[in-house]
Amino acid sequence: MTPEEGSEYDRLFYPFLFAGGTANVEDVLAQVRHSTLEKCRDVVALRRKTFEVYGNELVAAAMAMAQAFTAGATLWAFGNGGSTTDAQDVVADLLNPPFPLSRPLPAVALTNDVAVVTAVANDVGFDNIFARQIIAFSRPGDIALGISTSGNSTNVSVALAQAKQLGLLTVGFAGYDGGKMANAAALDFCIVAHSDQVPRIQEAQATAYHALLEAVYTLLHT
Amino acid sequence: MQGNTTHSDLRALLATRFERSCAVPQAFFAAEAGRIAEACWAMARRFHQGGRLLAFGNGACATDAQHVAVEFVHPVIVGKRALPALALPNDTATVSGLSVDRAGPSFVPQLAVLGRAEDIALGFSPDGGCSNVLEGLRVAGERGMLSLALVGGDGGQFVQADFDFCFVVPTSDPLLVQETHETLYHVLWELVHVFFEHEGLLA
Repeated sequence: MTPEEGSEYDRLFYPFLFAGGTANVEDVLAQVRHSTLEKCRDVVALRRKTFEVYGNELVAAAMAMAQAFTAGATLWAFGNGGSTTDAQDVVADLLNPPFPLSRPLPAVALTNDVAVVTAVANDVGFDNIFARQIIAFSRPGDIALGISTSGNSTNVSVALAQAKQLGLLTVGFAGYDGGKMANAAALDFCIVAHSDQVPRIQEAQATAYHALLEAVYTLLHT
Repeated sequence: MQGNTTHSDLRALLATRFERSCAVPQAFFAAEAGRIAEACWAMARRFHQGGRLLAFGNGACATDAQHVAVEFVHPVIVGKRALPALALPNDTATVSGLSVDRAGPSFVPQLAVLGRAEDIALGFSPDGGCSNVLEGLRVAGERGMLSLALVGGDGGQFVQADFDFCFVVPTSDPLLVQETHETLYHVLWELVHVFFEHEGLLA
């Protein structure tokens, strides 16, 4: 492999690959082991930082959500790509809670229905796939939970703004510097995993929303 | 809700969860880095042969199957090639139409119809007790697929099964298992690509 062929990232992290094609498998495996441990250290540091900065925000969000659920709220969750699966995971944890003695709470993932998603995307536009469903399904007092690793996903921001306008509690999870979500007036709470590595952002967000749900269930028990 | 849980009670609860979400992966990856590297290499060779990743799991793990699949198909790191991956729980008509037992739907029919010998089967079970996932991986292995189990708890029957790789996150908390699995499959995806940079290792 010549230096022209790899990305800057590859040249930085896997320099042996560009040393004239002489890498042997033991060298590559050693590098992969090293990278594995480095990625683990990164996510651990990001989780610690996220709690340090957003611990109080998570407590406040849990209190507001517990109050909303007590009053009969349904939670609507949404995101794109890997964040979609995290939104679906939040919903799975509410409908079938992994905490002892917890009762299921109403929640729906807005990517579940491919007919609706493709219909809105085709007829109106991708920016509206979640907002349209918020309009169709939600009631004032419900909870909208949007996830975006960049904080800049238009369809997530549009849906959160729509939700706020309709009187929902709005909760966002973002990464990087929080993007547009960080300072959006439409968001009651916004938890940011401050990193530029998308996999690590998602892993730290998973811990943050798991902790949030545990706090919500704890409040509902007491 | 009677409101007798204080702000500091909740903050302590969150602090405990975040700290466990750090300690569990630290111990897991320190112990497993060598086998993870081997798994990346084995997966890269399968992809090089034209194999696909077929991922499956029940409940919340179905979302992990979808998550690992989208990472491979649409890599977030610019310049990485798209690799073929399917999440078997995505086909709700097929899954809900198949026999559903106590442990969940059977993934065997999809593996039998869609699967090829060069594919990679990746099954999730948070407590090692998902008999349908165990059975899916067994069938996949019998058909020549590379078999990877991502499990938790004591690993249940997955530990004794003759899978190519069985990664056990040894905690009974399904959320910690899931978060550690998420880092694990992200790492598998990120580092499979290292081997693609060096085709001589893929034969």
